[in-house]
Amino acid sequence: MPGGSANGSAWETGPQGARSFRSVTLRSVTKSFGALRALDGVDFQVEAGSIHALVGENGAGKTTLMRVLYGSLQADSGAVLLDGKEARFRSAADGIRAGIGMVSQHNSIIGELSCLENLLLGAEGGVTVRLRDSERRAEALASKMGFSFDWRRDASGLSPAGAQKLEILKLLWRNARIMILDEPTAMLSPADSGLLFASLKSLVQEGAIVILVTHRLPEVMEHCGAVTVLRGGKLVGEKLVRDTGARELAEMIVGHALEAAAIADAPAAAAPLLSVRDLTVAGDRGNDAVRNVSLEVRSGEIVGIAGVDGSGQRELFRALMGVVRPREGEIDLKGDRITKASPAARIRAGVRLIPEDRHADGVVDDWSLVENAAIGLQRLPPLASGSWVDAAGKARFASAAADRFKTRYTSLRARLSGLSGGNQQRFVAGRALALDPKLILAYQPARGLDIDATRDVYDGLRKACAEGAGALVVSYDLDELLENCHRVVAMNLGRLWEPAPGKERDRAEIGRLMVGAE
Amino acid sequence: MTLRVGILAIAGIGVVLLAVVAAGVSPIAAARELIAGSMGSPGAWNGTLKDTTPLLIAGLAVYVALRAGLFNIGVEGQLIVGAMACAVVALAVPGVLGIALGVAAGTVCGGLWALPAGLIKAYRGGHEVITTIMLNSVALFFTHYMVAGPIQAPGQQNTTTARLAEATMLPVLYSAPPLRVSSAILAGLLLLGLFTIWLRRTVSGYELGLVGANPRAAELAGVATKRVIVRSMLASGAISGLAGALQVLAYEGRFYADFSPGYGFDALGVALLAGASPLGLIPAAFLFGVLSKGSSAVQLIGVPKGISLVVIGLLIVVFAAVRFRRQAAHE
Amino acid sequence: MSEAWILTLLASTLTLSSPLILASIGGYCSERGGVINIALEGKMLISACVTALVAIGTGNAVLGLLAGLGASVLLAWLHWLLTQAYQIDHIVSGMALNALAFGAANFLDKRFTDPERTEPMPHLPLGFFYALAVVLPVALALYSKHGRGGLRLRAVGGDPEKARLMGVSPQAVRFWGLTAAGVLCGLSGALIVTNARWFTDGMTAGRGFVALAALILGGWRPIPAALACAGIGLFFAVEVQLQGTPILGMRVPPDFWSALPYAMTVIVLAGFLGRSRPPAGLGKP
Repeated sequence: MPGGSANGSAWETGPQGARSFRSVTLRSVTKSFGALRALDGVDFQVEAGSIHALVGENGAGKTTLMRVLYGSLQADSGAVLLDGKEARFRSAADGIRAGIGMVSQHNSIIGELSCLENLLLGAEGGVTVRLRDSERRAEALASKMGFSFDWRRDASGLSPAGAQKLEILKLLWRNARIMILDEPTAMLSPADSGLLFASLKSLVQEGAIVILVTHRLPEVMEHCGAVTVLRGGKLVGEKLVRDTGARELAEMIVGHALEAAAIADAPAAAAPLLSVRDLTVAGDRGNDAVRNVSLEVRSGEIVGIAGVDGSGQRELFRALMGVVRPREGEIDLKGDRITKASPAARIRAGVRLIPEDRHADGVVDDWSLVENAAIGLQRLPPLASGSWVDAAGKARFASAAADRFKTRYTSLRARLSGLSGGNQQRFVAGRALALDPKLILAYQPARGLDIDATRDVYDGLRKACAEGAGALVVSYDLDELLENCHRVVAMNLGRLWEPAPGKERDRAEIGRLMVGAE
Repeated sequence: MTLRVGILAIAGIGVVLLAVVAAGVSPIAAARELIAGSMGSPGAWNGTLKDTTPLLIAGLAVYVALRAGLFNIGVEGQLIVGAMACAVVALAVPGVLGIALGVAAGTVCGGLWALPAGLIKAYRGGHEVITTIMLNSVALFFTHYMVAGPIQAPGQQNTTTARLAEATMLPVLYSAPPLRVSSAILAGLLLLGLFTIWLRRTVSGYELGLVGANPRAAELAGVATKRVIVRSMLASGAISGLAGALQVLAYEGRFYADFSPGYGFDALGVALLAGASPLGLIPAAFLFGVLSKGSSAVQLIGVPKGISLVVIGLLIVVFAAVRFRRQAAHE
Repeated sequence: MSEAWILTLLASTLTLSSPLILASIGGYCSERGGVINIALEGKMLISACVTALVAIGTGNAVLGLLAGLGASVLLAWLHWLLTQAYQIDHIVSGMALNALAFGAANFLDKRFTDPERTEPMPHLPLGFFYALAVVLPVALALYSKHGRGGLRLRAVGGDPEKARLMGVSPQAVRFWGLTAAGVLCGLSGALIVTNARWFTDGMTAGRGFVALAALILGGWRPIPAALACAGIGLFFAVEVQLQGTPILGMRVPPDFWSALPYAMTVIVLAGFLGRSRPPAGLGKP
């Protein structure tokens, strides 16, 4: 039985033995963050026996609801009931002790610790850490699930799939009987996702309650037994999966009937805008993160790069921006060799970036919208004339950048941090498109955006491309790429794979390429 | 948030009051001495301005680096190296030419003294706090050696250079003995004005701020971050050297061991208190000048000089609680 | 180089590196958990001052030591308050704390010390401190690897946000880390003042920063940091032995020897720093 050895030894911090729950209920939960009502009287009921899905758009409140269940967040009102009995959690530690575990969307693996230490953290079972005994127990748990780890190695070496598996083991180590998985497949290839769901199903068979938070409807339809839909912090409905379908769920999530996604037309054959040949870029740990990558983007074309996190997309973009020198290979833009050009020169030539993490790489949270608008474009007219800043030009540009994707803001002089995450992302995307873009490098441009905003951003990209630009989009969401790009390529372990002719938007084909099957 | 800062401020005031009382002095008497000692007479004003000038310029030096996200704790060393260089040159070349060359020498030497820290930070990632502090100590020993030996005034027992002739000193703006307002303060204000314009109105000024606020974003925005880091440390050191040079040319007329009563450290406080606009350096420097001169007076009635450092520490804490908060983790 | 010379050198090294070692591993307890600590100097100084004052005042060496430790722990708690509760930038906090410590030490010294006194303060045997300087780095290294607190410290320093998700409170862990730093720096300061027999203003002479540099050199690990301190101590010792001795026929001024350790620290930081990686969570809330 998962949950470790039956000897009930001193270091098990979960409930002694493996006590299963039959139902979990959240009743009338309300939670506000300042003026924002994240959850509004939500009822949520889960029964054991199948994987239960919790779906909704980004910002619908799914993660917030689960954090209330897990204990890391306290609701303003409402109750958590385990098997009908009320439970009060004041912190994540309380939730963990009651047998609830959560695997969050971005894993909580600490790279500097070893795999074993990551597993133990918080559940060491005493003042000393018994490394050898723990390793034995960990190995037993892992092999039961079909996993294997090098326990003493630094966890920083784990792949996203490996990290996800370790996360699940963490729950089992702590005898979690209620497991919440928040977007677990976001970083996994289709093959690894399949394996994950197989493990989850076996856990369910042994009595665990598994809640899957996701916005990927195909997964829900294939693997789950029941589904709850949230929208704007409210409960929209609860259904058995066999009684519903993807289209109905999608409409419940969005709240209105969806037109079929606009299928992009392939552009007429045009001159190559970006030409990358045999590019090799070194990675952090001595190996090559990008290997012999060749790629072409034509004027008017949106090319999507599919692949799980860590396949080299990040380093490719850094080389394309010019902050990293490639070891080998060439990059041409509009016929000019830019392999050795500085980032400033590339920006002048029209390269625009929508960064992966705007807080770390793209904005200054404490600055105003006007000041943030200039980041990357500070030397270009109309924001500057020569070495002098053109304040009026800058303000006008900021306004244009904000309006492009309907950013909601109070004043251009207000701080960027005062905007919601979705609006910040709209602003950043708008900034990239508002001043003569030629090559748009977009890394997860729709991050944190709901369906309508995502559509707007890709429409904006399409319009810019129709005016002669080209775009390279990295996303971990294959479906998003398939819907919005003219063609999709795959990156895996630093190599780039183009799908066979005719299959440029074939899901199965690209899914295979993502894992390296040729 | 204001409440928490308020608690801190009140606690700080309480500590200072307690200390003053523990020294056997009434707080009112101490406050009176502080004000009288710093602003109560022409002689007092003289002393206050004499301290405010280098504090303003050295404060600007720290501020320039701070804008780029760098902590230049080495102002002390850069300042005395600049002062020494200036004194040596001005003693060799008298008159107005001597003044000009002295200023140049001080500025250049101060800049060079900060350069290693800038290079190490930009290209090796070595934190500038440690390197600049180490260089301070090296500067102290180096200048001590020089002024006890090679550049010692002939026939003197003290560790000092010879005195500059009146012709090789900066002109006085206003003189009503014992009050002498030197033109050095003008130079300081001019420099401050130029910097403010540069920071606000030029693209490079914007880029400096970006490097300080988010170096990764700056790199992706096309800014040559490494060069900006080196240049701002260089500028910071140069301004510190200038502060030292002006101190020699305006007030001291010579260089000697223990030249700086801790201007470098106080300059850090000045810069931290200045806030979002460089013009805030003016009231900040004046406040520190008052504290510095005033605490000498307060010392005479029994409160040890250390109290001024305590006050400085508390001021930094309260101001930093408002302005230098770490960014909270993002959702 | 006679045997006596070498023995003297080794003894000197022990004496000179012990305060550095204690402060450096104190820095470890703080920085490993993610709190940048440039206030080692201040903690050492205030402990030195208070240890001397209380030892002389009460005539009891143990009380003196405890009071000194208490003072530096108090400063450490203030450090925690500023960086964790008020979320003030770690470097600014450190500089402010140094100012407070220097000011307080000067104040207490001038106010309460009897300038007429010539006899040295009552003190604990130096061997006590030297023994700690040898044993504690090893003990700390073991605890870091095998102790629950050590694991949590490293976790919080690696990624405080993720540690929080695992039920470990960065604030709590850092509190204990800073307390330990306070105790260790307190020991260092007490040693310095015990060695010198009485307190002098600013007697730490930048050694707190040298200890921090040694920690960085040692890659934020206790034993390598202690070894780096020993290396620097050896250097100080050589300097003491060679003072006055002509080098290559030239008389070297004493100021040169005084400045050399600090200059060497800069050179060493310039050379080695590319390789050593700080804890990823350093400076993060």
